[in-house]
Amino acid sequence: MIVRRLEVEERALASPLGRTSPLLKLGIALLWLVALAFSYDVRPAAVVAAAAVVAGLALGRVGIRRLVGGVAPLWTVALGIGLTNTLFAGANSDPASAVLGVIGPLRLTLPGVLGGAGVAARVVAVAAVGVVFGQTTDSTRLVDALVQQAHAPERFAYGALAAYQAVPRLAAQLTTLRQARRIRGLRMGWHPRLMVGLLVLAVRHGDRLALAMDARGFGSGPRSRYREVRWSRVDAAMAAGSVVVAALAVLAGR
Amino acid sequence: MASTVSRAGSASGGLGWRTRDIVVAAIIGVVFGVVFQVWNVLWGATGGVFTFFPPAQNLFYGVWLVPAVLAPLVVRKPGAALFAELVAAGLSAVIGSQFGPDAILSGLVQGGAAELVFLVARYRTWAFPVLAIASIASAAAAWIHDWIVWYPTNALDVQLWIGLCMAVSALAITAGGSVLLARSLRDAGALKGFPAG
Repeated sequence: MIVRRLEVEERALASPLGRTSPLLKLGIALLWLVALAFSYDVRPAAVVAAAAVVAGLALGRVGIRRLVGGVAPLWTVALGIGLTNTLFAGANSDPASAVLGVIGPLRLTLPGVLGGAGVAARVVAVAAVGVVFGQTTDSTRLVDALVQQAHAPERFAYGALAAYQAVPRLAAQLTTLRQARRIRGLRMGWHPRLMVGLLVLAVRHGDRLALAMDARGFGSGPRSRYREVRWSRVDAAMAAGSVVVAALAVLAGR
Repeated sequence: MASTVSRAGSASGGLGWRTRDIVVAAIIGVVFGVVFQVWNVLWGATGGVFTFFPPAQNLFYGVWLVPAVLAPLVVRKPGAALFAELVAAGLSAVIGSQFGPDAILSGLVQGGAAELVFLVARYRTWAFPVLAIASIASAAAAWIHDWIVWYPTNALDVQLWIGLCMAVSALAITAGGSVLLARSLRDAGALKGFPAG
């Protein structure tokens, strides 16, 4: 499941959103997150969620199945967080709030329910933005942009990228470790001891990887670039569009 | 235990990062990034169990903070807490978790708060009290962040309960778990050439 979600479709990468600087997309995602923080209303979240879905489908050519598949597991989380905010809203103890019902010691009030719904919508909106970002962004391009456009330290950025390449390997090893427990007659669940085996294998792999990188002169001098990342007109258009969406979201919450 | 955890000086010489330190700190972040994928789903799925008292779910919050303590405990370099937590959070963001881009913001505040504590300890002491304070600082930063982003309407007393649960979790899972994991790694011989080995 994890490995499949890491794969990004070629046509999504070739789309306008796929060609947008990953750094800019990250900035847009954070800008929208900030725009959502201004109110608990459902409407700003609806604006952002709609913008993310439209951008993902039209500008990012993300398959609708991938989009729905990415957001679907998160409905339970949205409901859980919404419920917490509803049941424990500060407004519930305010005598002036309109009471909708009483569950045991808890008063359920109109502002409480509205606030809870708003936060649940916020979760869905943030998740939609996250899925579109993930489905149109290749991790190598993200790191190239971090180094070339944000001037992140090269050794750390590419060191992290090297470690990222181990994800499929780690996922496979996790399966092996779980099967090994099963062979020993233990239950198939998620025992914390699995972490020990996984970490030992990971640290050893990291050690060998670092040795191989050092042997090829990693970080020993100025680094030449194979893939140039430059700001483009697509970036400018996306930036302008995203500011409009953020403004709409803030206005919708008023 | 204390002698190995708080030993000053290091086999890796000083505070400069070797390639090994970078890749191993990053891969600890990646391992937890993978674990978070399972964890994020479990967190969503088990929400119902805690309906009687949702703040209690935060007793398990500490799992998200482990890279910010385990990675610096292993490599003992300035920036390791922030780096490993950001790598783990970045993986969550690239794969697409329910927290989306906010995962990166979370990673930044969680790793940054732990980093500050190690900075104040001048990257010299790695005894349990320092790890415990770093874990709680990380949880405190996460608490403030989550309050603003995810629980904006919650009443103050509920938020205090959530904070208390997170602090307990940070102590037991983040600080305690990191020490146990580092010890297991050392016993398995995986930390040869590292100060914690």
